[in-house]
Parts: sequence; structure tokens; C-alpha cells
Amino acid sequence: MIWQIDLLILTLIVICGFCTIVVKDLLGAAVIFGAYSFLMCLLWTEMGAVDVAFTEASVGAGVSTVLFFAAVHRTTRHVKMKPSGRLMGKTIGLAAAGLMGCVLLYATTDFPSWADPNSPASTHVSPRYITGTIPDTSVPNMVTSVLADYRGFDTMFETAVILTAGLAVLIILGQTGNRSPLPISRLPQGPITQGYDDTIIRFITRIMTPFLQLFALYVIAHGHHSPGGGFQGGVILGATFILMSISYDLRMVTNRFNERTNLLLANTGLLIYSGIGALCLILGANFLDYSALAKILPGTTTITARSEAMLGVEIGVALAVMAIVILIYNNLVSNGTYENGL
Amino acid sequence: MSDYFTWLGVVLCLLMLMALYRTVIGPTIIDRIMGANVIGTKTVVLLIIIGTIFGRVEMFVDIALAYAMLNFIVTIAASRYFTHHKNILQEGYGLRHRPGGPKD
Repeated sequence: MIWQIDLLILTLIVICGFCTIVVKDLLGAAVIFGAYSFLMCLLWTEMGAVDVAFTEASVGAGVSTVLFFAAVHRTTRHVKMKPSGRLMGKTIGLAAAGLMGCVLLYATTDFPSWADPNSPASTHVSPRYITGTIPDTSVPNMVTSVLADYRGFDTMFETAVILTAGLAVLIILGQTGNRSPLPISRLPQGPITQGYDDTIIRFITRIMTPFLQLFALYVIAHGHHSPGGGFQGGVILGATFILMSISYDLRMVTNRFNERTNLLLANTGLLIYSGIGALCLILGANFLDYSALAKILPGTTTITARSEAMLGVEIGVALAVMAIVILIYNNLVSNGTYENGL
Repeated sequence: MSDYFTWLGVVLCLLMLMALYRTVIGPTIIDRIMGANVIGTKTVVLLIIIGTIFGRVEMFVDIALAYAMLNFIVTIAASRYFTHHKNILQEGYGLRHRPGGPKD
């Protein structure tokens, strides 16, 4: 924690957050929100929460702003304002919000100070994770061991929530009403349309995509030792497909990676996660108690089996996240028709 | 030496403030995108500097790499958006709401 940098970043964040709400141009608001995400990533890095910062980096830089752009592309860019509200109502609202802010600020004085070793959070359960992660799981990055092993249930249902989000987008935007029950057979299989011909962008995309995907795989596989893991790697993988569909054509991606594959991959990801848990159940231990897997994984003890199983779980998470990111983008940008994108 | 990097970080944050001014005020959307891009570039450097201050650069290099690799997607998306919608330089998209408003 470096207080000089901290103070400046917090000031910038407040400015960004305020302007995101005030600006009437939705595209501009999306861009300012992207800057907000950069600054949040810096703040988390500087507080030492490196894994959280990595998630913010991959989601903020790769996906979220592009999703906003896709939504604005299919809807409208400006906010429709009512001429002017009553001054009285506005004043009352402002006063209520201000009062609430003051009460919340007053409540923060009771909080333990930042990184206080005597705070309840640091004395109750954290020491167990900090001292136990190497003897219990042999994973050096304790965020990974907490995420995928100690709190495995939470992460499994987070993955389920991501799958649900993708399905919700599909239900709302996918055009199923007057066609067959599942929108799988409606995908256009025509040739790639040559809409734009930007040599530089296409060349850079072609060069960069393999490196980006390799980096994403490294992030997934190396999550045990450094910040990263399934969520971050999956988002970066999804971002590479978004990049390809922006710089070439939406159809180039959907021809190779259609909706059926996407849904299949998303479900497979969650199935891998819960399947590993169920396998532990079959082998006579509790659900998601990976140490039971030592019976079937060759060359592992009950401790290293937990580390190996965490890698499997991370791969499942990455598959689900990647497929859902691509699914949401494709549906948002083409309004569910898959015909032409951004 | 750590002090040196701290003040380096502070100076970069102040430069970021100038880019943020353009992002927030910027009359057109292009100004905003350029401002946000500059902030992103400075973020990459600041991440490494913070890593150097903490003495754990290897932890922070991955995040900086992710930013460096993914930062240009938004710019390409914006340029694609404006091949469909020709309203880059239109009035009425500033901080203040103008009567009449912009037309898409």
C-alpha cells in the first residue's frame, strides 16, 4: 500500500464513476467505464489482491467495453431525457442520497483499518488457509487453493451462474419464437462475407491470435503458481474469438465455432467440474473432496491429487467461461440472428 | 530506490489525470477513446512499477501482458462501430444535455 499513489488513483476513480453516470452519450459512458476498470485494476494490484486485479484486467480490457459497444450498436446511442423533473423531487432525492452516504461514511469508522492483523477476518479463518495451503494441497498460490478446493462449492455455482447468464441472453435475444424449439439449425453456413478489407487490422489479428491463445492457456495452467486461473484464461480465450469476429467477420467465427459447439462447450465445462466432484463421491469421499482421487490418478498422493484435480476444475471453468463470453457477444452484436456483426 | 519508483508512480498518475481530462470532457467520442487508450498504456507501466516497489515483479508481469495484448480490441470495435454509424462529430454528446439533442 503506497498512500501517494493510492490517493491519486482513488481520486481518478471517483471522477470516472461520476462521469460515467453524468455523460449522456452511452458510447462515451462505455469508454469512461473502461478507464474506470483500468483504475480499479491498479487499485487492487496496489492493495496486493493480484488475482482480482487479473480478473479485472482480462474482463475490463477484453470483453466488457466491447459488449457495451455491441449493445449500443443494436440499440441506440443517446439517453432520452424527460424535459426536466420537478426541482423539489430532485432536491429531496439528492438530500436522501447524501444523508445515506454520510451514514455509511460514519459506519466505516468502526471498521478495522486496512490489513489489520487483529481484525476478525485475519484472526478467524485466514490463518488456517495461509498455513494449511502448502501441507494440505501443495499449491503455492493460496488464492487458487481457496477458490478451487477449500471453497470449491462456491466456484462451482459461480460457473453455473455464468452458464445461466449465457442462457438468459440466448432466451431473450435468440430468435426461437416462430421457428424450431432450439435455434441450432438456423445458423447460416454461407461463405465468409468480404465486408471490409483492412489489411493492417487483419494482419495484426492473424499474427496476434495464436500468441493470445497461448498466453490464455498459460494463464489457466500456471494459475497454481502465479495469479490467474480458469476465469481469467477463459475470458482471454473468449476475447480472442471476439477480436477475430470484429476484424474479419462474425460469420468467420460462427462458421467454425457455431452455437451448438458453444452450448456444448459451456455445458461440458460445468460437467467437468461437477463430474470431478461426483467422481470423489463415487470413490467414497465427500463431494469435491479431491484427495480421494489419489486412488485413480497414478503417481499421486492424497495431497498432490488435490493439486491435480484443481487443474481439471480450472480447465472446466475456462471452457464454460470462454463459450459463454462468445455466446453473449454473438447474440448481442447480431441481435440473435447471427447474420452480421460489428 | 523504492522512493524513486514511488515518485515515478505518482508522476505517472498525474499524467493519467491529464488523459482523464480528455476522456471526460472530450467533445467527440474519438477524443474519449484516445484518452482511455493512453490511460491503458500508463496502466501497463504502473503495474510493473508497483511490482518493482513490492519486489515481486514476476507476479505483476502477467497482468501487464494481458493489458498490453487486449487493450486494442476496444479501439478496433469502436472503428467498426463507426463504419456502421456515421455520427462521429455530431454535436450534443458533451457533458451537458443540450435541448434538441443528437440524431442518430
